[in-house]
Amino acid sequence: MEKFRRILLVEDDARDVELTLTALEDYKLANEVVVCRDGQEALDYLYGRGKFSDRVGETPAVILLDLKLPKVDGLEVLEQIKSDERLRMIPVVMLTSSHEERDMMRSYKLGVNAYVVKPVDFHEFINAVKELGMFWAVINEPPPRSA
Amino acid sequence: MADFAQPPTDGGARRLLAHWGRNFQGLRSPLARYGLAVVSVAVALSLSLLLQYYQFRDAAVPALALAIAVTTWYAGNGPAVMAIVLSSLSFDYFFTEPYYSLAITPRDLPYFFIFVIWGLTVAGFSAVRRRVEENLRHAQEELAKHAVDLQAANKELEAFAYSVSHDLRAPLRHVVGYAELLQKHAAAALDEKAGRYLKTILEASKRMGNLIDDLLGFSRIGRADTNKIAVNLEQLVAQVVTELAQDVSGRDIAWKIGALPVCYGDRAMLKMVFMNLLSNAVKFTRQRSRAEIEVGCSQQENNQIKIFVRDNGAGFDMRYVTKLFGVFQRLHLPEEFEGTGIGLATVQRIVHRHGGRCWAEGAVDQGATFYLTLPKV
Repeated sequence: MEKFRRILLVEDDARDVELTLTALEDYKLANEVVVCRDGQEALDYLYGRGKFSDRVGETPAVILLDLKLPKVDGLEVLEQIKSDERLRMIPVVMLTSSHEERDMMRSYKLGVNAYVVKPVDFHEFINAVKELGMFWAVINEPPPRSA
Repeated sequence: MADFAQPPTDGGARRLLAHWGRNFQGLRSPLARYGLAVVSVAVALSLSLLLQYYQFRDAAVPALALAIAVTTWYAGNGPAVMAIVLSSLSFDYFFTEPYYSLAITPRDLPYFFIFVIWGLTVAGFSAVRRRVEENLRHAQEELAKHAVDLQAANKELEAFAYSVSHDLRAPLRHVVGYAELLQKHAAAALDEKAGRYLKTILEASKRMGNLIDDLLGFSRIGRADTNKIAVNLEQLVAQVVTELAQDVSGRDIAWKIGALPVCYGDRAMLKMVFMNLLSNAVKFTRQRSRAEIEVGCSQQENNQIKIFVRDNGAGFDMRYVTKLFGVFQRLHLPEEFEGTGIGLATVQRIVHRHGGRCWAEGAVDQGATFYLTLPKV
Protein backbone atom coordinates (compact mmCIF):
# COMPACT_ATOMS: atom_id res chain seq x y z
CA MET A 1 0.00 0.00 0.00
CA GLU A 2 1.13 3.46 -0.80
CA LYS A 3 2.50 5.37 2.13
CA PHE A 4 0.17 8.14 3.26
CA ARG A 5 1.44 11.60 2.84
CA ARG A 6 2.00 13.85 5.78
CA ILE A 7 -0.31 16.42 7.25
CA LEU A 8 1.41 19.65 8.20
CA LEU A 9 -0.16 21.30 11.23
CA VAL A 10 0.94 24.89 11.87
CA GLU A 11 -0.28 25.93 15.31
CA ASP A 12 1.42 27.98 18.00
CA ASP A 13 -0.76 26.98 20.93
CA ALA A 14 0.46 23.76 22.58
CA ARG A 15 -3.03 22.98 23.87
CA ASP A 16 -4.58 23.37 20.47
CA VAL A 17 -1.87 21.12 19.07
CA GLU A 18 -2.70 18.47 21.64
CA LEU A 19 -6.44 18.73 21.05
CA THR A 20 -6.00 18.60 17.29
CA LEU A 21 -3.66 15.62 17.50
CA THR A 22 -6.11 13.88 19.86
CA ALA A 23 -8.85 14.39 17.33
CA LEU A 24 -6.71 13.07 14.49
CA GLU A 25 -5.53 10.09 16.55
CA ASP A 26 -9.10 9.28 17.50
CA TYR A 27 -9.74 8.68 13.90
CA LYS A 28 -6.61 6.57 13.54
CA LEU A 29 -5.48 8.42 10.49
CA ALA A 30 -2.45 6.67 9.10
CA ASN A 31 -0.90 9.93 8.00
CA GLU A 32 2.02 11.27 9.92
CA VAL A 33 1.36 14.70 11.35
CA VAL A 34 4.17 17.22 11.35
CA VAL A 35 3.71 20.09 13.77
CA CYS A 36 5.26 23.50 13.23
CA ARG A 37 4.86 26.08 15.95
CA ASP A 38 5.16 29.28 13.93
CA GLY A 39 5.01 30.56 10.39
CA GLN A 40 8.76 30.72 9.98
CA GLU A 41 9.12 27.08 10.97
CA ALA A 42 6.37 26.09 8.56
CA LEU A 43 8.10 27.85 5.67
CA ASP A 44 11.42 26.28 6.70
CA TYR A 45 9.73 22.92 6.60
CA LEU A 46 8.18 23.50 3.20
CA TYR A 47 11.42 24.78 1.70
CA GLY A 48 13.53 22.13 3.45
CA ARG A 49 15.85 24.66 5.03
CA GLY A 50 17.10 25.38 8.55
CA LYS A 51 16.46 22.44 10.83
CA PHE A 52 14.50 20.72 8.06
CA SER A 53 17.37 20.80 5.57
CA ASP A 54 17.59 17.01 5.58
CA ARG A 55 13.88 16.53 4.93
CA VAL A 56 13.00 14.31 2.00
CA GLY A 57 11.54 16.30 -0.83
CA GLU A 58 7.91 15.46 -0.46
CA THR A 59 5.09 17.96 -0.10
CA PRO A 60 2.42 17.36 2.54
CA ALA A 61 -1.08 16.20 1.57
CA VAL A 62 -2.57 19.21 3.29
CA ILE A 63 -1.51 22.12 5.46
CA LEU A 64 -3.70 22.97 8.45
CA LEU A 65 -2.77 26.57 9.11
CA ASP A 66 -3.61 28.78 12.07
CA LEU A 67 -4.13 32.45 11.33
CA LYS A 68 -2.49 34.08 14.28
CA LEU A 69 1.07 32.88 14.58
CA PRO A 70 4.25 34.30 16.04
CA LYS A 71 6.90 35.74 13.69
CA VAL A 72 5.26 35.05 10.32
CA ASP A 73 1.47 34.92 10.60
CA GLY A 74 -0.85 32.53 8.82
CA LEU A 75 -1.86 34.91 6.06
CA GLU A 76 1.77 35.62 5.23
CA VAL A 77 2.54 31.91 5.12
CA LEU A 78 -0.49 31.41 2.87
CA GLU A 79 0.58 34.24 0.59
CA GLN A 80 4.09 32.79 0.34
CA ILE A 81 2.78 29.30 -0.44
CA LYS A 82 0.29 30.44 -3.05
CA SER A 83 2.79 32.69 -4.80
CA ASP A 84 5.39 29.94 -5.10
CA GLU A 85 5.16 27.86 -8.25
CA ARG A 86 6.37 24.71 -6.41
CA LEU A 87 4.10 25.02 -3.37
CA ARG A 88 0.92 26.57 -4.67
CA MET A 89 -0.70 23.21 -5.44
CA ILE A 90 -0.60 22.02 -1.83
CA PRO A 91 -4.10 22.32 -0.35
CA VAL A 92 -4.12 24.82 2.51
CA VAL A 93 -6.88 24.82 5.12
CA MET A 94 -7.20 27.73 7.51
CA LEU A 95 -8.00 26.36 10.94
CA THR A 96 -8.60 29.38 13.09
CA SER A 97 -10.57 30.94 15.93
CA SER A 98 -11.44 33.93 13.81
CA HIS A 99 -14.96 34.34 12.61
CA GLU A 100 -14.13 37.73 11.15
CA GLU A 101 -15.26 38.38 7.64
CA ARG A 102 -12.11 40.22 6.67
CA ASP A 103 -9.91 37.28 7.68
CA MET A 104 -12.05 35.00 5.54
CA MET A 105 -12.01 37.46 2.64
CA ARG A 106 -8.27 37.89 2.78
CA SER A 107 -7.69 34.14 3.05
CA TYR A 108 -9.91 33.38 0.08
CA LYS A 109 -8.37 36.19 -1.94
CA LEU A 110 -4.97 34.67 -1.28
CA GLY A 111 -6.31 31.36 -2.60
CA VAL A 112 -6.98 29.28 0.51
CA ASN A 113 -8.62 25.92 -0.23
CA ALA A 114 -10.86 25.87 2.82
CA TYR A 115 -11.57 28.04 5.84
CA VAL A 116 -12.63 26.36 9.08
CA VAL A 117 -13.53 28.21 12.26
CA LYS A 118 -12.54 26.10 15.25
CA PRO A 119 -15.77 25.38 17.10
CA VAL A 120 -15.75 26.13 20.83
CA ASP A 121 -17.66 22.94 21.51
CA PHE A 122 -15.20 20.09 21.91
CA HIS A 123 -17.26 17.46 20.09
CA GLU A 124 -17.77 19.78 17.19
CA PHE A 125 -14.07 20.59 17.23
CA ILE A 126 -13.09 16.92 17.24
CA ASN A 127 -15.54 16.24 14.43
CA ALA A 128 -14.35 19.20 12.38
CA VAL A 129 -10.71 18.13 12.68
CA LYS A 130 -11.54 14.50 11.96
CA GLU A 131 -13.49 15.37 8.90
CA LEU A 132 -10.82 17.73 7.72
CA GLY A 133 -8.19 15.04 8.14
CA MET A 134 -10.41 12.48 6.48
CA PHE A 135 -11.30 14.65 3.55
CA TRP A 136 -7.97 16.21 2.74
CA ALA A 137 -5.69 13.34 3.63
CA VAL A 138 -7.75 10.38 2.47
CA ILE A 139 -10.68 11.28 0.22
CA ASN A 140 -9.13 14.16 -1.67
CA GLU A 141 -6.63 13.24 -4.36
CA PRO A 142 -3.69 15.57 -3.78
CA PRO A 143 -1.85 16.99 -6.76
CA PRO A 144 0.71 14.56 -8.21
CA ARG A 145 3.91 14.34 -6.24
CA SER A 146 6.47 16.88 -7.12
CA ALA A 147 10.04 17.04 -6.02
CA MET B 1 -19.81 70.63 3.87
CA ALA B 2 -20.98 73.39 1.55
CA ASP B 3 -18.30 72.32 -0.89
CA PHE B 4 -20.08 69.05 -1.48
CA ALA B 5 -23.34 70.80 -2.32
CA GLN B 6 -21.71 72.79 -5.10
CA PRO B 7 -21.78 71.43 -8.63
CA PRO B 8 -18.33 70.20 -9.54
CA THR B 9 -17.81 72.80 -12.28
CA ASP B 10 -17.29 75.75 -9.97
CA GLY B 11 -15.89 73.71 -7.11
CA GLY B 12 -12.34 74.68 -8.04
CA ALA B 13 -13.05 78.38 -8.25
CA ARG B 14 -14.97 78.23 -5.00
CA ARG B 15 -12.16 76.45 -3.25
CA LEU B 16 -9.68 78.99 -4.58
CA LEU B 17 -11.87 81.81 -3.28
CA ALA B 18 -12.26 80.10 0.05
CA HIS B 19 -8.50 79.62 0.25
CA TRP B 20 -7.92 83.26 -0.58
CA GLY B 21 -10.54 84.27 1.98
CA ARG B 22 -8.96 82.10 4.67
CA ASN B 23 -5.53 83.59 4.06
CA PHE B 24 -6.84 87.13 4.33
CA GLN B 25 -8.79 86.28 7.43
CA GLY B 26 -5.41 85.35 8.79
CA LEU B 27 -4.57 89.09 8.86
CA ARG B 28 -3.87 89.57 12.50
CA SER B 29 -1.29 92.30 12.79
CA PRO B 30 -2.97 95.71 13.43
CA LEU B 31 -0.70 97.38 10.87
CA ALA B 32 -1.91 95.12 8.08
CA ARG B 33 -5.55 95.43 9.14
CA TYR B 34 -5.58 99.23 9.35
CA GLY B 35 -3.36 99.37 6.31
CA LEU B 36 -6.04 97.52 4.40
CA ALA B 37 -8.57 100.18 5.44
CA VAL B 38 -6.35 102.99 4.15
CA VAL B 39 -5.40 101.19 0.94
CA SER B 40 -8.94 100.14 0.02
CA VAL B 41 -10.34 103.61 0.64
CA ALA B 42 -7.45 105.13 -1.34
CA VAL B 43 -8.02 102.76 -4.25
CA ALA B 44 -11.78 103.45 -4.22
CA LEU B 45 -11.12 107.17 -4.06
CA SER B 46 -8.64 107.22 -6.93
CA LEU B 47 -10.97 105.10 -9.00
CA SER B 48 -13.86 107.48 -8.33
CA LEU B 49 -11.73 110.53 -9.16
CA LEU B 50 -10.52 108.90 -12.35
CA LEU B 51 -14.09 108.09 -13.38
CA GLN B 52 -15.20 111.58 -12.51
CA TYR B 53 -12.46 112.97 -14.69
CA TYR B 54 -14.06 111.10 -17.59
CA GLN B 55 -17.45 112.52 -16.64
CA PHE B 56 -18.79 109.42 -14.87
CA ARG B 57 -20.52 111.07 -11.92
CA ASP B 58 -21.75 109.33 -8.75
CA ALA B 59 -19.27 106.47 -8.89
CA ALA B 60 -17.88 107.54 -5.52
CA VAL B 61 -20.72 106.18 -3.34
CA PRO B 62 -20.65 102.54 -4.56
CA ALA B 63 -16.86 102.50 -4.78
CA LEU B 64 -16.38 103.75 -1.23
CA ALA B 65 -19.12 101.44 0.04
CA LEU B 66 -17.28 98.54 -1.56
CA ALA B 67 -14.05 99.65 0.12
CA ILE B 68 -15.86 99.72 3.50
CA ALA B 69 -17.38 96.27 2.90
CA VAL B 70 -14.03 94.76 1.91
CA THR B 71 -12.30 96.27 4.92
CA THR B 72 -14.97 95.04 7.33
CA TRP B 73 -14.91 91.57 5.81
CA TYR B 74 -11.19 91.03 5.90
CA ALA B 75 -9.94 93.25 8.72
CA GLY B 76 -12.71 93.43 11.33
CA ASN B 77 -14.50 96.18 13.20
CA GLY B 78 -11.74 98.65 14.11
CA PRO B 79 -10.50 99.08 10.54
CA ALA B 80 -14.15 99.24 9.42
CA VAL B 81 -14.72 102.34 11.55
CA MET B 82 -11.51 103.81 10.20
CA ALA B 83 -12.62 103.08 6.63
CA ILE B 84 -15.97 104.78 7.30
CA VAL B 85 -14.27 107.84 8.76
CA LEU B 86 -11.76 108.02 5.90
CA SER B 87 -14.39 107.58 3.20
CA SER B 88 -16.70 110.13 4.86
CA LEU B 89 -13.87 112.65 5.01
CA SER B 90 -12.79 112.06 1.44
CA PHE B 91 -16.41 112.10 0.28
CA ASP B 92 -16.82 115.43 2.02
CA TYR B 93 -13.53 116.75 0.62
CA PHE B 94 -13.89 115.65 -2.98
CA PHE B 95 -17.55 115.10 -3.75
CA THR B 96 -19.67 117.59 -1.77
CA GLU B 97 -19.74 121.33 -2.31
CA PRO B 98 -17.66 123.24 -1.64
CA TYR B 99 -15.19 120.91 -3.36
CA TYR B 100 -11.67 120.45 -1.98
CA SER B 101 -12.64 121.60 1.48
CA LEU B 102 -13.82 119.80 4.61
CA ALA B 103 -16.54 122.41 5.07
CA ILE B 104 -20.07 121.37 4.20
CA THR B 105 -22.82 123.61 2.98
CA PRO B 106 -26.12 123.13 4.85
CA ARG B 107 -27.71 122.10 1.53
CA ASP B 108 -25.27 119.17 1.25
CA LEU B 109 -25.58 118.08 4.85
CA PRO B 110 -28.41 115.49 4.33
CA TYR B 111 -26.57 113.97 1.36
CA PHE B 112 -23.43 113.66 3.48
CA PHE B 113 -25.34 112.10 6.38
CA ILE B 114 -27.00 109.63 4.09
CA PHE B 115 -23.57 108.68 2.79
CA VAL B 116 -22.32 108.04 6.36
CA ILE B 117 -25.42 106.00 7.21
CA TRP B 118 -25.01 104.05 3.99
CA GLY B 119 -21.39 103.30 4.91
CA LEU B 120 -22.41 102.17 8.39
CA THR B 121 -25.13 99.92 6.98
CA VAL B 122 -22.77 98.31 4.51
CA ALA B 123 -20.20 97.75 7.26
CA GLY B 124 -22.92 96.31 9.52
CA PHE B 125 -24.11 93.82 6.92
CA SER B 126 -20.59 92.85 6.08
CA ALA B 127 -19.75 92.28 9.76
CA VAL B 128 -22.86 90.19 10.39
CA ARG B 129 -22.28 88.11 7.29
CA ARG B 130 -18.68 87.70 8.34
CA ARG B 131 -19.69 86.48 11.80
CA VAL B 132 -22.14 83.97 10.32
CA GLU B 133 -19.43 82.71 8.02
CA GLU B 134 -17.02 82.40 10.92
CA ASN B 135 -19.51 80.48 13.04
CA LEU B 136 -20.18 78.17 10.16
CA ARG B 137 -16.48 77.60 9.70
CA HIS B 138 -16.09 76.81 13.40
CA ALA B 139 -19.02 74.43 13.26
CA GLN B 140 -17.48 72.72 10.25
CA GLU B 141 -14.13 72.38 11.97
CA GLU B 142 -15.85 71.00 15.05
CA LEU B 143 -17.79 68.55 12.91
CA ALA B 144 -14.65 67.42 11.11
CA LYS B 145 -12.96 66.88 14.47
CA HIS B 146 -15.90 64.83 15.72
CA ALA B 147 -15.85 62.77 12.55
CA VAL B 148 -12.18 62.01 13.08
CA ASP B 149 -12.80 61.11 16.74
CA LEU B 150 -15.68 58.89 15.76
CA GLN B 151 -13.60 57.14 13.15
CA ALA B 152 -10.87 56.50 15.68
CA ALA B 153 -13.39 55.17 18.21
CA ASN B 154 -14.87 52.90 15.56
CA LYS B 155 -11.46 51.58 14.62
CA GLU B 156 -10.69 50.89 18.23
CA LEU B 157 -13.97 49.08 18.64
CA GLU B 158 -13.27 46.99 15.61
CA ALA B 159 -9.82 46.08 16.90
CA PHE B 160 -11.42 45.19 20.20
CA ALA B 161 -14.00 42.92 18.63
CA TYR B 162 -11.30 41.36 16.51
CA SER B 163 -9.11 40.56 19.46
CA VAL B 164 -12.09 39.19 21.39
CA SER B 165 -12.85 36.97 18.46
CA HIS B 166 -9.29 35.66 18.28
CA ASP B 167 -8.00 35.63 21.77
CA LEU B 168 -10.99 34.98 23.97
CA ARG B 169 -12.26 31.95 22.15
CA ALA B 170 -9.00 30.01 22.24
CA PRO B 171 -8.72 29.61 26.04
CA LEU B 172 -12.42 28.89 26.20
CA ARG B 173 -12.01 26.11 23.68
CA HIS B 174 -9.24 24.69 25.82
CA VAL B 175 -11.37 24.76 28.95
CA VAL B 176 -14.12 22.89 27.13
CA GLY B 177 -11.71 20.53 25.38
CA TYR B 178 -9.77 19.48 28.44
CA ALA B 179 -12.88 19.20 30.59
CA GLU B 180 -14.31 16.86 27.95
CA LEU B 181 -11.10 14.86 27.88
CA LEU B 182 -11.17 14.64 31.67
CA GLN B 183 -14.75 13.47 31.56
CA LYS B 184 -13.82 10.84 29.02
CA HIS B 185 -10.76 9.52 30.79
CA ALA B 186 -11.80 9.79 34.41
CA ALA B 187 -15.56 9.31 34.27
CA ALA B 188 -15.32 5.98 36.10
CA ALA B 189 -13.13 7.38 38.87
CA LEU B 190 -15.35 10.40 39.58
CA ASP B 191 -18.10 10.31 42.16
CA GLU B 192 -21.47 11.86 41.46
CA LYS B 193 -20.55 15.24 42.91
CA ALA B 194 -17.33 15.52 40.91
CA GLY B 195 -19.23 14.50 37.80
CA ARG B 196 -21.72 17.28 38.40
CA TYR B 197 -18.93 19.83 38.90
CA LEU B 198 -17.39 18.80 35.63
CA LYS B 199 -20.73 19.04 33.90
CA THR B 200 -21.23 22.53 35.31
CA ILE B 201 -17.82 23.61 34.02
CA LEU B 202 -18.78 22.37 30.58
CA GLU B 203 -22.18 24.03 30.60
CA ALA B 204 -20.80 27.32 31.83
CA SER B 205 -18.07 27.37 29.20
CA LYS B 206 -20.53 26.56 26.48
CA ARG B 207 -22.71 29.40 27.67
CA MET B 208 -19.74 31.74 27.60
CA GLY B 209 -18.95 30.58 24.10
CA ASN B 210 -22.51 31.40 23.03
CA LEU B 211 -22.31 34.81 24.68
CA ILE B 212 -19.06 35.65 22.92
CA ASP B 213 -20.42 34.50 19.57
CA ASP B 214 -23.63 36.47 20.05
CA LEU B 215 -21.77 39.58 21.09
CA LEU B 216 -19.46 39.35 18.10
CA GLY B 217 -22.39 38.79 15.78
CA PHE B 218 -24.11 41.81 17.27
CA SER B 219 -21.08 44.04 16.84
CA ARG B 220 -20.67 42.79 13.29
CA ILE B 221 -24.17 44.01 12.42
CA GLY B 222 -23.18 47.51 13.40
CA ARG B 223 -20.05 47.40 11.26
CA ALA B 224 -21.15 45.41 8.22
CA ASP B 225 -22.15 47.23 5.05
CA THR B 226 -25.82 46.98 4.20
CA ASN B 227 -26.76 45.86 0.75
CA LYS B 228 -30.22 47.32 0.27
CA ILE B 229 -32.61 45.95 -2.32
CA ALA B 230 -36.35 45.49 -2.67
CA VAL B 231 -37.29 42.64 -0.34
CA ASN B 232 -40.57 40.77 -0.50
CA LEU B 233 -41.41 40.45 3.17
CA GLU B 234 -44.17 37.93 2.62
CA GLN B 235 -41.73 35.50 1.01
CA LEU B 236 -39.13 36.21 3.63
CA VAL B 237 -41.47 35.59 6.54
CA ALA B 238 -42.82 32.42 4.89
CA GLN B 239 -39.25 31.16 4.57
CA VAL B 240 -38.49 31.90 8.21
CA VAL B 241 -41.70 30.18 9.32
CA THR B 242 -40.81 27.09 7.29
CA GLU B 243 -37.38 26.94 8.88
CA LEU B 244 -38.78 27.41 12.37
CA ALA B 245 -41.61 24.93 11.90
CA GLN B 246 -39.10 22.12 11.34
CA ASP B 247 -37.81 22.52 14.91
CA VAL B 248 -41.23 22.60 16.56
CA SER B 249 -43.08 19.89 14.66
CA GLY B 250 -44.54 18.47 17.89
CA ARG B 251 -46.33 21.66 18.89
CA ASP B 252 -49.66 23.14 17.94
CA ILE B 253 -48.89 26.54 16.48
CA ALA B 254 -51.43 28.57 14.55
CA TRP B 255 -49.47 30.82 12.18
CA LYS B 256 -51.43 33.75 10.85
CA ILE B 257 -49.39 35.58 8.25
CA GLY B 258 -51.15 38.60 6.78
CA ALA B 259 -50.41 40.30 3.49
CA LEU B 260 -46.97 41.88 3.76
CA PRO B 261 -45.60 44.54 1.43
CA VAL B 262 -42.29 44.76 -0.37
CA CYS B 263 -39.82 46.87 1.54
CA TYR B 264 -36.39 48.28 0.91
CA GLY B 265 -33.59 46.74 2.92
CA ASP B 266 -30.79 44.23 3.37
CA ARG B 267 -32.31 40.80 2.86
CA ALA B 268 -29.97 38.85 5.13
CA MET B 269 -30.36 41.36 7.95
CA LEU B 270 -34.14 41.51 7.63
CA LYS B 271 -34.23 37.74 7.72
CA MET B 272 -32.32 37.92 10.98
CA VAL B 273 -34.95 40.35 12.31
CA PHE B 274 -37.85 38.01 11.55
CA MET B 275 -35.89 34.96 12.63
CA ASN B 276 -35.35 36.59 16.04
CA LEU B 277 -38.89 37.89 16.44
CA LEU B 278 -40.59 34.68 15.30
CA SER B 279 -38.32 32.32 17.20
CA ASN B 280 -38.97 34.44 20.28
CA ALA B 281 -42.69 34.11 19.66
CA VAL B 282 -42.29 30.34 19.35
CA LYS B 283 -40.17 30.19 22.48
CA PHE B 284 -42.40 32.29 24.70
CA THR B 285 -45.61 30.48 23.71
CA ARG B 286 -44.16 27.14 24.78
CA GLN B 287 -46.53 26.83 27.73
CA ARG B 288 -49.64 27.37 25.63
CA SER B 289 -51.53 24.33 24.46
CA ARG B 290 -52.22 26.19 21.25
CA ALA B 291 -49.83 28.94 20.31
CA GLU B 292 -51.07 31.76 18.12
CA ILE B 293 -48.51 33.79 16.24
CA GLU B 294 -49.57 36.56 13.93
CA VAL B 295 -47.53 38.68 11.55
CA GLY B 296 -49.12 41.57 9.73
CA CYS B 297 -48.70 44.99 8.28
CA SER B 298 -50.90 47.38 10.19
CA GLN B 299 -50.52 50.64 8.31
CA GLN B 300 -48.40 52.58 5.93
CA GLU B 301 -47.47 56.18 6.43
CA ASN B 302 -44.97 58.65 5.05
CA ASN B 303 -42.83 56.13 3.18
CA GLN B 304 -42.64 53.79 6.14
CA ILE B 305 -44.42 50.50 6.61
CA LYS B 306 -45.36 49.29 10.05
CA ILE B 307 -45.17 45.59 10.74
CA PHE B 308 -46.22 43.74 13.85
CA VAL B 309 -45.50 40.30 15.29
CA ARG B 310 -48.00 39.19 17.91
CA ASP B 311 -48.10 36.10 20.10
CA ASN B 312 -50.24 34.78 22.93
CA GLY B 313 -47.24 33.72 25.02
CA ALA B 314 -45.69 34.66 28.33
CA GLY B 315 -45.71 38.39 27.56
CA PHE B 316 -43.87 40.87 29.76
CA ASP B 317 -44.45 43.59 32.30
CA MET B 318 -44.69 46.99 30.57
CA ARG B 319 -42.64 48.45 33.45
CA TYR B 320 -39.57 46.78 31.96
CA VAL B 321 -40.29 47.67 28.36
CA THR B 322 -37.21 49.90 28.19
CA LYS B 323 -34.98 46.95 29.02
CA LEU B 324 -36.43 44.74 26.37
CA PHE B 325 -34.13 45.81 23.55
CA GLY B 326 -30.93 46.07 25.63
CA VAL B 327 -27.92 43.84 25.02
CA PHE B 328 -27.95 40.77 27.29
CA GLN B 329 -31.08 42.03 29.03
CA ARG B 330 -33.47 39.28 29.95
CA LEU B 331 -36.87 39.44 31.59
CA HIS B 332 -37.08 35.73 32.36
CA LEU B 333 -34.99 33.25 34.29
CA PRO B 334 -32.68 31.05 32.25
CA GLU B 335 -34.52 27.99 33.61
CA GLU B 336 -37.83 29.27 32.24
CA PHE B 337 -36.68 30.38 28.81
CA GLU B 338 -33.21 29.85 27.41
CA GLY B 339 -31.26 32.44 25.45
CA THR B 340 -28.49 34.96 25.83
CA GLY B 341 -30.61 38.08 25.53
CA ILE B 342 -29.12 39.41 22.31
CA GLY B 343 -32.01 38.74 19.92
CA LEU B 344 -34.06 41.88 20.40
CA ALA B 345 -30.93 44.04 20.61
CA THR B 346 -30.00 42.66 17.21
CA VAL B 347 -33.51 43.39 15.90
CA GLN B 348 -33.31 46.95 17.14
CA ARG B 349 -29.88 47.57 15.68
CA ILE B 350 -30.89 46.26 12.27
CA VAL B 351 -34.12 48.26 12.25
CA HIS B 352 -32.22 51.40 13.23
CA ARG B 353 -29.72 50.79 10.47
CA HIS B 354 -32.69 50.77 8.10
CA GLY B 355 -33.89 54.10 9.43
CA GLY B 356 -36.87 52.56 11.21
CA ARG B 357 -37.96 52.18 14.83
CA CYS B 358 -39.13 49.28 16.90
CA TRP B 359 -41.13 49.02 20.08
CA ALA B 360 -43.22 46.51 21.97
CA GLU B 361 -46.43 46.16 23.90
CA GLY B 362 -47.41 43.37 26.21
CA ALA B 363 -48.72 42.21 29.56
CA VAL B 364 -47.65 39.33 31.77
CA ASP B 365 -49.23 36.10 30.54
CA GLN B 366 -51.21 37.92 27.86
CA GLY B 367 -48.78 37.79 25.01
CA ALA B 368 -46.60 40.41 23.41
CA THR B 369 -46.69 42.48 20.24
CA PHE B 370 -43.55 43.76 18.57
CA TYR B 371 -43.76 46.60 16.10
CA LEU B 372 -41.20 47.79 13.63
CA THR B 373 -41.14 50.30 10.82
CA LEU B 374 -39.17 49.87 7.62
CA PRO B 375 -38.74 52.05 4.55
CA LYS B 376 -41.15 51.41 1.69
CA VAL B 377 -39.78 50.67 -1.77
